[in-house]
Amino acid sequence: MAELLEIKNLTKNFHGLKAVSDVSFTVEKGSITGMIGSNGAGKTTVFNMISGVLTPTSGSIIYQGKDITGTKACKYTGMGIARTFQIMKPLRNMTVLDNVVSGAIFGRKQLNAVQAREYAAEILEFTGLYDKKDLYPKDMGTPYKKRLEVARALATDPELLLLDEVMAGLNPTETDEAVELFQKINEQGTTILLIEHIMRAVASLCQKVVVMHHGEKITEGTPEQVMNDPYVIEIYLGKEED
Amino acid sequence: MRKKFGIRQILLLVLILICLIVPTFVKTPYMLGIFVTTFYIGCGTLAWSVLGSLTGEISLGHAGFMGLGAYIGALLMNNKHITPWVGMLVAFVVVGLLAACLLAPCFVLSGPYFTLVTIAFAEAFRNLFTNWDYAGKGQGILVPLKEQGMYSMRWISKVPYYYIALIMLIVFYVILRKIDRSKLGYALKTIREDEETANAVGINPFKYKFIATFISAGLIAVVGVFYANYIGYINPDIMKQSQALNYVMPAIIGGIGSITGPLLGAIILTPLSEFLSATLSHIAGGLNLVVYAVIVIAVILFRPTGIMGWFDHSKFKKKMNDRFDAIDAKLFGKRG
Repeated sequence: MAELLEIKNLTKNFHGLKAVSDVSFTVEKGSITGMIGSNGAGKTTVFNMISGVLTPTSGSIIYQGKDITGTKACKYTGMGIARTFQIMKPLRNMTVLDNVVSGAIFGRKQLNAVQAREYAAEILEFTGLYDKKDLYPKDMGTPYKKRLEVARALATDPELLLLDEVMAGLNPTETDEAVELFQKINEQGTTILLIEHIMRAVASLCQKVVVMHHGEKITEGTPEQVMNDPYVIEIYLGKEED
Repeated sequence: MRKKFGIRQILLLVLILICLIVPTFVKTPYMLGIFVTTFYIGCGTLAWSVLGSLTGEISLGHAGFMGLGAYIGALLMNNKHITPWVGMLVAFVVVGLLAACLLAPCFVLSGPYFTLVTIAFAEAFRNLFTNWDYAGKGQGILVPLKEQGMYSMRWISKVPYYYIALIMLIVFYVILRKIDRSKLGYALKTIREDEETANAVGINPFKYKFIATFISAGLIAVVGVFYANYIGYINPDIMKQSQALNYVMPAIIGGIGSITGPLLGAIILTPLSEFLSATLSHIAGGLNLVVYAVIVIAVILFRPTGIMGWFDHSKFKKKMNDRFDAIDAKLFGKRG
């Protein structure tokens, strides 16, 4: 499989604090790649660098063979990279439909407002939000708000979708539904890179998992390999007393 | 999307027709003056809304931009004998560009900080004009009534101003509706809700804020040109920050976040303040302002989203929509 995204020696310092140090990994086209690690491991910082919110201190991000390090955040959907936020950011005073229309207009498809409304309706249908299209985000529960985040990102017609803990706070049934949705998105050809804490979801979705700890990548591999790695077990469950 | 012709459109037409024939019934200049004031304040509020409601950047400097427009119109007419109609166009482009270029470096400021900058710019302009010989210094300038007619936009009667203001209001409203539903509108609203999200879906906040400022300041400059010719006299005091509140208050009372809200606010607030000053000010000086302030405070306290903000989420709107749909179905049969 070809590489869609290649992260090379990515480092980010915040005034002397090393948030991310020397992280490298690749995301294969058409795959679902997961990133796990404890809180403060630097996962979201890596995401923010891939989506242009933060500029790396050093290292490079190569997307479709092009170095895109330091590109302005608003240029990413045009290149086919869309993201969601860990802290949900619904457009509060806009209806669910309008939330998604925003994504559709300014995404890769270059639609006009009328076409965008039609396309947004399709996306809502696909993500199972269509019957809520006239509601405001505050009138929906967390699972639907998380879906809305995904729908808005999806409306930009991404090649690579970055999902930042979109399953956090969901109950097992809702998690299964979300997993199903991401599989459906992936089957349509969208590559996914996701941060997640729920191991069950990660295990059933991802072909490859990257584990981060204290800003460094400690290992990568299939979910089984990673979960049986003694160091990962030590980080997650603590070290056995001798 | 409702593109069909129904009871709503009929009601709107009736409303416009009523507005058109008002001058045949209302003869006193005072009453007519209230209508004209309501209309141009409405225009100003709508212009302010492009930046205030759609983009969420509260500007208190719009009186300054309006004053600039007024001066451009008046000076062109007085010194170069250029018709205010052309003056409107010049004011739109010049003031729009000037405001956008001046405020562009300040777009990184958010909330109250941006507001403070807008006040500072308006004050700077006021001081400039107070000390500028060419613009009549602090005494201001008269737009003399030498010739009446379309070319000079000067009449003794208030009726022509009534129609100009009404048409201007309708045009402004249509422009704002168009913006609201366009790509630009979605960009501005997304920026208003969350700038980071705007970036994440591919909107360049700087670019769209620039466009919004251009349109907003340009439109209010057009109102300024009208004002100069309607009142016939302008001085730097019209650029005061307190004057800007004339355009901000209706938007807040009517409901920031929609297009109809600011317009509704202007239609309610301007006659209300005139009515209060006519009925209460002779009982005790300033009583009208106290009552006005109490009403405004009450609305802000109990309906912080404004009248339209409340209406949009109320059962009343749903009921009214159902009623209208029922009438539509009866009148035109079932469609769509």
